[in-house]
Amino acid sequence: MVDVRLDGLVKNKGLFQCLECGKCATSCPRCMSGKEYSPRLLAHKVIAEREDEAFIENAVWECLTCDLCSERCPSGVDFSGFVIEMRTLLAETKGLKGYRAHDGAVHSWMRMMTVPELKQNRLGWINEDLKVSSTGEIAYFVGCAPYFDVFFSGIEVNTLAISRDSVRILNFFDVEPVVLADERCCGHDLLCTGDRKNFEILCRLNYEAFKDAGVKEIVFSCPECYYVWKEFMPQVCKGFDLKVTLLLDLIEREVNRGGMTFSPFSRRVTYQDPCRLARMVDKVEVPRKLLRMIPQLRLVEMEHFGHGAVCCGNSAFINCDAYSKFIQIKRLKEARATKAQMMVTSCPKCMIHLTCAMRDKVRGGEWNMELVDIHTILAREMGWFKG
Amino acid sequence: MSVKILTICCNWSPWACLNQAQMAGFVLPENLKVIRVMCIGRINQALILKAFEFGADGVLLLECHDEDCRYGPGPAVGHGNVQRVRKLLDLLGIDQHRLVEKSFGAHEKTELAQAIEDFADTIERLGPITQKERKADHYGGCET
Ligand code: SF4
Ligand code: SF4
Repeated sequence: MVDVRLDGLVKNKGLFQCLECGKCATSCPRCMSGKEYSPRLLAHKVIAEREDEAFIENAVWECLTCDLCSERCPSGVDFSGFVIEMRTLLAETKGLKGYRAHDGAVHSWMRMMTVPELKQNRLGWINEDLKVSSTGEIAYFVGCAPYFDVFFSGIEVNTLAISRDSVRILNFFDVEPVVLADERCCGHDLLCTGDRKNFEILCRLNYEAFKDAGVKEIVFSCPECYYVWKEFMPQVCKGFDLKVTLLLDLIEREVNRGGMTFSPFSRRVTYQDPCRLARMVDKVEVPRKLLRMIPQLRLVEMEHFGHGAVCCGNSAFINCDAYSKFIQIKRLKEARATKAQMMVTSCPKCMIHLTCAMRDKVRGGEWNMELVDIHTILAREMGWFKG
Repeated sequence: MSVKILTICCNWSPWACLNQAQMAGFVLPENLKVIRVMCIGRINQALILKAFEFGADGVLLLECHDEDCRYGPGPAVGHGNVQRVRKLLDLLGIDQHRLVEKSFGAHEKTELAQAIEDFADTIERLGPITQKERKADHYGGCET
């Protein structure tokens, strides 16, 4: 193992502060679903028993990077940050390991986007009623939705509905966002599976493309894309100077200016916090505030919510297994226990993973619940006050 | 730069058929590689995509006729995967004609040889994909 770099990581990610209290392990969804895996033990091994390489190398690929452990840690250990960087380190020295879900198809198309000459054909989803442009100051970042909807057509997810509704919302505020014909994946899944090199290529190509289109601000609906652009783009792209805005924040800002109203939506709903949004960029209140503005909508919380919400079972499309499924089923049961008629989320991946769990052929229907993205609800119910 | 073609061939009807064609004098184009698999139903979206990711300029799937599948749903699974990967390729700006599936009975050697030649011609005409070539070792052992 590369000791100098590992030493640096152990130090920078605060692992020496670990008290061995075990709060991380007892909150870790993977550990609590019975997997032989423990963040506390991994921390201990990299500090005190580094010769146990087999254990360390295995454990590093097990984590969901959901950040729940860091949330609970009383000592400020940045565990998922440690894991993400450990994967890069191990990938460079030992090769990319871990089981890639769907045989790595998702990572394949992401890598195929690192070619500078790429000429994509990804704008087919833009209906006539949506107004977008190819140059301008404000852009909307679509992410991998066009690809997801093809690849996951077997479980019938519609993540492009999120993109359409996001553009609708921007149009409602008189913004005709730039949508790039050659926008690339933000690279989140490559970053989180240790492929830092290709991740950085995607970052740079995206940055250049948006700069070339004259963009100054980019609006995001996807929590992962937002997280990458906010936290990593400034590290990777020299002189990075684009404004990065979460669409939900933008809506809140506009709502605060007044003049808006929401039509009633008589439903009891519960909200699934995506790990990237709630814990990694600390947006717990905004979605709730916006949902509560809708008349007759009743928001009920699950047992675990907000900063303590449990992951949708998988992240970056690695290690999807029986334990992931267990986490998902537990989550769906929590949602059903609220007696909500509908589950709202704000991440296409939560949508994909929870939909997949619901499609279980044997238990068919037992965990079913209507699952809708928050942008879709907001786009449908928003209006101007006509006094 | 010459093109690279990958043919994935089911072990049953098309493989027997290819054998017969070769015994009758058919010679595979030099830039075409054949991988024999037990069933086209085994070839999921990821494996097809990966062929392109690793530098193939065209992928030809040779399968049994629907009603001949030794395992049942193989070709049907193949149709679904091919349809989806074609859409993914289109999104990535890669010509959909670069991915083709064809089904053969064991006796259709002339048709099979013709199909391979036609596909090789199509890919020659389309030329190499501007996708840069990637080395397998870049991804570590687990994925190849
Ligand atoms: S919660 Fe923090 S301090 Fe406690 S064992 Fe885990 S990493 Fe160590
Ligand atoms: S990030 Fe999530 S999955 Fe990984 S150790 Fe922490 S709680 Fe467990």
